[in-house]
Parts: sequence; C-alpha cells; structure tokens
Amino acid sequence: MKCKSLLVAAFALATAATAANAQFRLPVIFPLGRSNAPPPAPPPGSLAPGAVTQGALVAAAGTDTVYFSANGATVDPTATATLAAQARWLLANPYVTVRLEGHGGPNDSRDYALAIGDRRANSVRDFLVLQGVAPQRITVMSWGKERPGKVLIGQSLVAAGPRVVTVVVPEPAPMPMPAPAPAR
Amino acid sequence: MGSAALAQEPEPTAQVIAIPPLATVKITDTDAGTTWGLANQIANLISADLKLSSKFIFADIQKVRIPSYPEVTAPSYPQWRSVGAKLLLQGFVNARSDGRLTIGCYLYDVQAGRELARQGFAVSTGEWRRAAHKCADMAYQKVTANAPMFDSRIAYVAESGSEDAPVKRLAVMDFDGANHTWLTSGDSTVLTPKLSPGGDRIAYTSFGGGKLHVEIVELGSNGGRPLIPGSDETFGPAFSPDGNTVLFSMSNGGNVDLYAVAAGGGFPQRLTTSPSIETGASYSPDGKSIAFVSDRSGRPEIYVMNADGTNQRRVSFGPGDYGSPAWSPAGDKITFMRTQGPLSRIGVMGANGGDERLLTNGPNDAEPAWSPDGSRVIFQRFDAASRRTMLATVPAGGGEVRPVPTPQGGSDPSWSERQE
Repeated sequence: MKCKSLLVAAFALATAATAANAQFRLPVIFPLGRSNAPPPAPPPGSLAPGAVTQGALVAAAGTDTVYFSANGATVDPTATATLAAQARWLLANPYVTVRLEGHGGPNDSRDYALAIGDRRANSVRDFLVLQGVAPQRITVMSWGKERPGKVLIGQSLVAAGPRVVTVVVPEPAPMPMPAPAPAR
Repeated sequence: MGSAALAQEPEPTAQVIAIPPLATVKITDTDAGTTWGLANQIANLISADLKLSSKFIFADIQKVRIPSYPEVTAPSYPQWRSVGAKLLLQGFVNARSDGRLTIGCYLYDVQAGRELARQGFAVSTGEWRRAAHKCADMAYQKVTANAPMFDSRIAYVAESGSEDAPVKRLAVMDFDGANHTWLTSGDSTVLTPKLSPGGDRIAYTSFGGGKLHVEIVELGSNGGRPLIPGSDETFGPAFSPDGNTVLFSMSNGGNVDLYAVAAGGGFPQRLTTSPSIETGASYSPDGKSIAFVSDRSGRPEIYVMNADGTNQRRVSFGPGDYGSPAWSPAGDKITFMRTQGPLSRIGVMGANGGDERLLTNGPNDAEPAWSPDGSRVIFQRFDAASRRTMLATVPAGGGEVRPVPTPQGGSDPSWSERQE
C-alpha cells in the first residue's frame, strides 16, 4: 500500500509539475516491494461485502497459496508471513468466508495425498484461527493429488505440489435460490 | 520377449492342452449368432484366457478331426495323443427352447484316458462369455490349484479431459475388456473404487456435493449411496473378505484415522487413535489383520495391525515413501507402491515385512491391486508419450508388464472374481 501511494504521489507531482514547468524531469522511478506486483485492486476497507474477490485477497496478502515440504504440514516462515497478511485481510473484511484447499504431492499414494492435503489445510486453518479469524468463516477440504496445478519457476512450468490455497467463497445470493440437485 | 503378443512364455512344467471348437447338437440361430458360430467363439475365448497364464502349451489341432456331438462325452483319445496333448478341453453349446443357451465343458486327461472335471451352464445369449470364462477357470484351477480368475471384473477410474482438472468416472469391465460400462457421469471426481469380494458392489470415494465421502453402488442399480450420511470427510474404502464390513479413512480436524463400519451403514468403530495420519487400509484375506499407511515415523510407511486396531507394527523399512498396500488373496504377501524422489514403483513384500521385491521400474507406477488368483498385480502407469495414465499388469513374481486396454485413460484399478 505504501508503495502504491508513493507511486500515486509521484505521478500527481509529475502531472502538476508538467503543467507548471515543461522543463521538469521525472526521476527514475523504482518499484518498491515485491517484484511481481499484485494486480491493482481497490483498498479492501472500501469494498462492499458482495464485491470481495479472490483478486482482493491476492492483492492484500501477495498470494493465495502457501507451500509445504514433502510429507510436511508445518507452516514455515515464508508461509507464516503470507498467512499473517491473509489473516489481517480477513479481519479487515469480516463478511468474507474462505475455503482452504489442501493438496498432496504428485507422487503421494492416492489416499495419503488426500490425508496430508487435509492435514495441511487444517494447519493453515489453525494458524488463521490463532490470528483471530473466526473458525466459522473457514471451511477446509482436501484435493489430494486431483488438481496437480502448475507454477512457473524461471522458464519452466513445474507441478505446484504440496500446498494450501485460500479460496474466497462467493457471497450467497441475496435471495435464496432453489439449490441444484447435488451432483454425483 | 518384448513382443506385443499377449501369450505368456510357457513354464517348464506347462502342460499341453487341446481345445477344439465346441460341438452343437443342431445348428440353431440365436440372438448371439448361430450355435456353430458360438461354438468356435467360445473355444477361442477359452484359449485366449488360458494363454494369459504360463501353465499351458497349446496343441496344434489343425489336422485333428473336430469332435462330433456324441464325442464330447466319449473322446477318441488316440487322436489327441497323436498331437501330443496331455489335456483335452471340449464341450457343447445348444440353444434352449426358452431362448437361452446350454453350454457344457469337459476336461480330460488324454494320457490316462479319463475325465477330470465337467461343468454346465444355462446362460442368456448375452452372457455366453461368462460361461466360456468359467470353462477356462475349470481347467486353470485343475492344473494350477490357484483360485479362479477369468470370470472376473475390473473396476477402475476412467480418466479424460485435461491433466490439470481431469474428468474421472467410475467404470467397470470384464477382466478382458468386454462389457465395459461407465457408472458415474463425470460431474464430480471419483477415486479408489474397490470391488466387493463377490464382485457385485463397488465402494469408492467421491467429491460429489463438494465434500469428500465414501459411496457404495450396487452393480446394475442406478447411482451410489453414501456409506455414512453427513459425516466428516471420508475416503479410501476397503471391503472385508466377507463383504460385510468397510474400512475407511476419516478426517477429524486434520487428523486422519481408520474406521470400520457395516457395509449397510451404521455406527463406525474407530481403529486407530494416533495423532499421525493413518489411511490406505486393506484387509488380510482371513479378515483378522489390516495393512495400512501411517506417517507416525515422519514419512508414510506400511504397518500391520489386528482387525480391532491392536498390535500395530511397522513392516516396511526400505528407502523412500510407501503407499497403497494390498493384501494378496493367499494372505502371504502385500503389494505396495514405493516412491523415491520422482520415481514411483510397484513392489511385493512378505505379509510380516521382509522379502521385499520391486516388480516394476516406474517411473510413475501406483495404486497396485491383486488379480483374484494372486498370480498378477494390476496397477496404474503414467505413459509419458501419450501423457495419459493407463492400466497394466505384471506377474506377482516379476516379469513382463502388459497393458490393460481401456477406452480412455485409467487409474485406481480393483479386480475381483464374480460370484453372483
């Protein structure tokens, strides 16, 4: 946020200066903070509850995904930083509910992938609850190894592997709709 | 070796068998073709089945007179001795007045000149293949003393669509690929189907309704029912040998443990209580023990316990991560998958650990299951060329890996003899 307001300030300055003095030369502007700038999103505080999106979470916390070691379900320091930011955003948006989707590794056995994905999602849940997020706002599920996913590392796409993705659950429609028959 | 031919290399103890076309009392038109045509098809199917085993050598019967109908019960032994046959499998197929077929088969010891076994079946015209498989089983059991394996079905997960979000449907077929049917629509992902011991039900894991849960479907009926309605996330079912109990894994706040429940539903009994993950359960064939996966040591390993959860002990000690144990039909072995880095392979060990042997070279082999007679292990293999996961089998003692053809990709196989 600081980085963005700096940039905005710099641009405002530049526009004003251009009008006042055509000779004014802009300084070289370095982006601050993360190299992969999150997509611009309105500040979370100003959002109506119905308009909260996955993009807003990603913008606030940097990413919706935290990674784990093989066979591990412990939240490591990198994940801690991300999840703390996610928790702050959740506390700032008290009407949002999230679903934590845990994933196993691509070479886990089918059942173990489901079990360890569930364990990872629950350890993220426990972390968010310790940060003050109400447990009722969080559901957990495990995908096992059914959604392997790909991430770009350098030039190559590799399997995303052991991770938990925080998914913003869309607000229910204001009018209750007839529920569709559960798919088999 | 290495050829695409399906015929197994015969063992030194293999016996020479002659399988002439069946006889028919009168060539009759049926819904499945003439009885004469069926007589040839049935003999061919019996031969195809027995060629999958290494216990038979097939006598050249080109120059032998095809047995007449009366000869089915009174074979002319000298002509079968003349082609070197030790065994003779022959029979008849007749049309019945009710539109069904009568199929009989007889196994003779040619050298001793006596009958070894006989079986007869009245089947609908659509089910003549089952009668042929039963005839093959008769000869197979007599020669090998193994359990039967040819009148059997394979349940598996048919895979289509993208690698990132595959469509996974429950499918079932005869072990030779005939009578293939899909049982779920693909709207929701299904996993780990397990055929019941009689082959009439399938327990599987479904993501239907957005929540992981075990369902049971009766073959021939429409749609499955949840094993335990409204429970926490449940997955990884396994039938007991009598088919009355289902093991499964259930998550309780991130701690996955093993439970057992009556197959018709009821109150689950908790079998494990450790804070680590316990999953991937498989009953021993006597129903007294359970093999399962636990990561209490820090990585997934295979453990064995009594069916009530007592006396838990680790049986896997090799390098890498272990998964998906399955107890052999004879009870003496456990097949498993073992992962080391990116390499996952199928192996077999003694039921109390030890004698570990890897059967495949990977690099992406997983989810093994036994053939009904314990002679082969079926598993899934990722084929890097087609980027599809396919089914394949390997002899339980090691040997050539053979593909199991399926209409689409296939994973999570389960193989069971039919009893209904």
